[in-house]
Amino acid sequence: MTAATSATGQPAGGTPAAASPVTTGSEKRAEMLAGYALIVVPMLLFLVLNIGSVLYEVFVSLWKWNVRTGPQQFRGIQNYQTLFADDIFWRAVQNTVYYAVIWVPLTMALGLFLAVIVNQKLRGQAFFRAAYYFPAIASSVAITILWIFIMSPEGLFNTVRGAIGINPLFAALGFSANQNWIGDERTALNTVIILNAWTTSGTFMLFYLASLQTISGEVYEAAALDGASWWQTFRRITFPLLRPAHYFVATVALIGALQLFDQAYVAGGVGGDPNNALMTVVLYLFNAAVSQANFGYAAAVGVVLFAIIFTATLVQRRLFGSTPSWL
Amino acid sequence: MMRRTLVGAFLVLALAGACSSGSGTSPSPAGGGASPAESSAASPAESMAASPAESMAASPAESAGASGGTGATGGDGSAWAQTISGNATLSGWQASPDEGKALQNALSGFATAYPNIKVDYKEVPGDYRTVMQTKFAAQDVPDIFYVNADYAKEWIDQGLLEPLDDYISKSGFDTSQFFPGAASIFKGQDGKTYGLPKDTNTIALAYNSDLVSTPPKTLDELVQMATSLKGKNGLKAPMCFNPGLDRGLAFLYANGGSVVSDDLSQEQIDTDASKTAVQWYMDQFKNGLAMTASDLGSSWCGEALGKKQVAMVFEGGWLDPFMTSTYPDVKYAWAEMPTGTSGSPVTISFTVSYSIGADSKNKDQAFAVMTYLTGKDGMTKWTEGGVALPSRQDVAIPKGKDVLAAGSAYAKPGSGFMPGWVDVQKAFQDEFTSQLQKKTFDAGPVVEKTAAAVTKAISQ
Repeated sequence: MTAATSATGQPAGGTPAAASPVTTGSEKRAEMLAGYALIVVPMLLFLVLNIGSVLYEVFVSLWKWNVRTGPQQFRGIQNYQTLFADDIFWRAVQNTVYYAVIWVPLTMALGLFLAVIVNQKLRGQAFFRAAYYFPAIASSVAITILWIFIMSPEGLFNTVRGAIGINPLFAALGFSANQNWIGDERTALNTVIILNAWTTSGTFMLFYLASLQTISGEVYEAAALDGASWWQTFRRITFPLLRPAHYFVATVALIGALQLFDQAYVAGGVGGDPNNALMTVVLYLFNAAVSQANFGYAAAVGVVLFAIIFTATLVQRRLFGSTPSWL
Repeated sequence: MMRRTLVGAFLVLALAGACSSGSGTSPSPAGGGASPAESSAASPAESMAASPAESMAASPAESAGASGGTGATGGDGSAWAQTISGNATLSGWQASPDEGKALQNALSGFATAYPNIKVDYKEVPGDYRTVMQTKFAAQDVPDIFYVNADYAKEWIDQGLLEPLDDYISKSGFDTSQFFPGAASIFKGQDGKTYGLPKDTNTIALAYNSDLVSTPPKTLDELVQMATSLKGKNGLKAPMCFNPGLDRGLAFLYANGGSVVSDDLSQEQIDTDASKTAVQWYMDQFKNGLAMTASDLGSSWCGEALGKKQVAMVFEGGWLDPFMTSTYPDVKYAWAEMPTGTSGSPVTISFTVSYSIGADSKNKDQAFAVMTYLTGKDGMTKWTEGGVALPSRQDVAIPKGKDVLAAGSAYAKPGSGFMPGWVDVQKAFQDEFTSQLQKKTFDAGPVVEKTAAAVTKAISQ
């Protein structure tokens, strides 16, 4: 996306302005009207479907809401009070934050690493690009099921590590030879983090790759002339020039992390088993809304989640400074 | 990207081990929906004479106007049902292809007896409760559908189900044949009936008969037997236990414990008797005599029995079709639930109802279908399929289910006896699992957390 906007942004900003003739008042008005006419449909959709549903959610969250008949009893902030008093909700928040803090940097680093590798002029470059991207096109549910099998006590992972003799290493870390990775509350979430880092890194590789290819060869030539090492080039040139990509990938990853649902649901069921280790905020919301049909309460969860994501994105924006002009 | 697969997630619970809480009563999918009986349901109008309902079907055509008179029909509602025509949609989950076959068998019996009503059966794949919840929200529900005792109270309280009392009285359907324990679960706080039990299932001991010659009769004998089997015959553990109340409740009752007082006024899990019983259950894990299906790498205990990972499991009638089709070479037999310190035989039973949606547009047709499926003939055909036990006294015990049926004489409800049971089970299972994984094996926190959940549930 960053690559696309910067590419089209330049000519749009440059040439037409110089070419535009002096306009009369009525022409300006007509132009303005045409402009509004063009945006009115998407804008209406946005207002109704996005802003409208957020406001509706806030409304629903103040009620005891029957699944069939709608508003049943006005509750005010009672749904929120119940929510904040629920240990499982806080466990869900804790899990979600932990997931975001570990997974976002991990998957970004992995994506960048893969992008740098496949950006080299290697033989079979296309093959590697496709291979690294492959997990991202597989359905997350299918791949989670596969992961459950691999990480089960009798699964591929435990068998392989036994066969190649690295079990003493795992024993030192406190894991038995037939550790139940997803069924054990101490390892369940980390196991899902590794799964998602693997499957999502391909997508982020793609974003980074697109951005890497917009970096002009001249800067590398200049660096080479100055005698910069590979690492120095990466540290001082590639990495900083990828800033728009970092911003984009980090935002997408963080929002995705805070909305973690499908892998947790498939691996841990509605209850986020074992012992809520895989309970995430969205799974908690899903549980309240769909399993317990407690729509008002679920709406309250949704509002809180909205607030969390909104704040996180704002914080992130500050962290990366003001949006670069070329973004 | 996350949302796109949400729908897919429903389809997959089968593989994620949804069978764990007993397929007979829990929504666990597993394909096999399209069964050939659809064609037989279309044709059999002319073979009506074969139906056992024929004797009743002969008379009521003329007495249709007087269908309020219930005496003549013998109370099976068929006289009234014969006057109804139209369509009805039916939905339920299907834990195995055998269930589908059994249901289609019952439905073709219905089509024969009641050619004027066409039943359109659609299996709900995936997480049944979730899928139905979305249908309730859309006010587009099947006319007649399964309701698991687990959450029947919630659905009744939310007004999702149609009270059946008017239909029962106008059709003259005799509900006294149902086992009271099963029927009472589907009564609302208002005393009305919101569902008729379609079947029951009890928990009993299923053991590998190559390894266990005489099944234990008491829990002490069970422990002795398990101890003697430990580490032998390639077993990973002598027994497979679920870390939750879906089976644990049977052991809790056997050892004199309880979850809640009969009048639902007081939690009873945080008492010495219950705590001792929970500790007993936990000690089997501690002593290496039992493992969870998850730690065995199986999706449920039945699979662990089939794979010969364990020699003894505690399951219900749904185990039979599974073993026959998946592990036909493994020899196993049933024994009644061993008695514990309470001294008297006890086990738990599960039940599921047929209910009518409050938003159903074909309620008469739906009830007509119900009178057949929960009636003597329909239930006979359904239970012959080998998945479940009859919930009526006048239906014969299906072949091979004697042990399980014996249990229904002294079984207590395994779910549906209190509101918020799903949350109570979750509280128990979460802490129990945690104790197992931390290897602390302490029943104290388990009963404390469960007690809090019970108190919360009964105070609402």
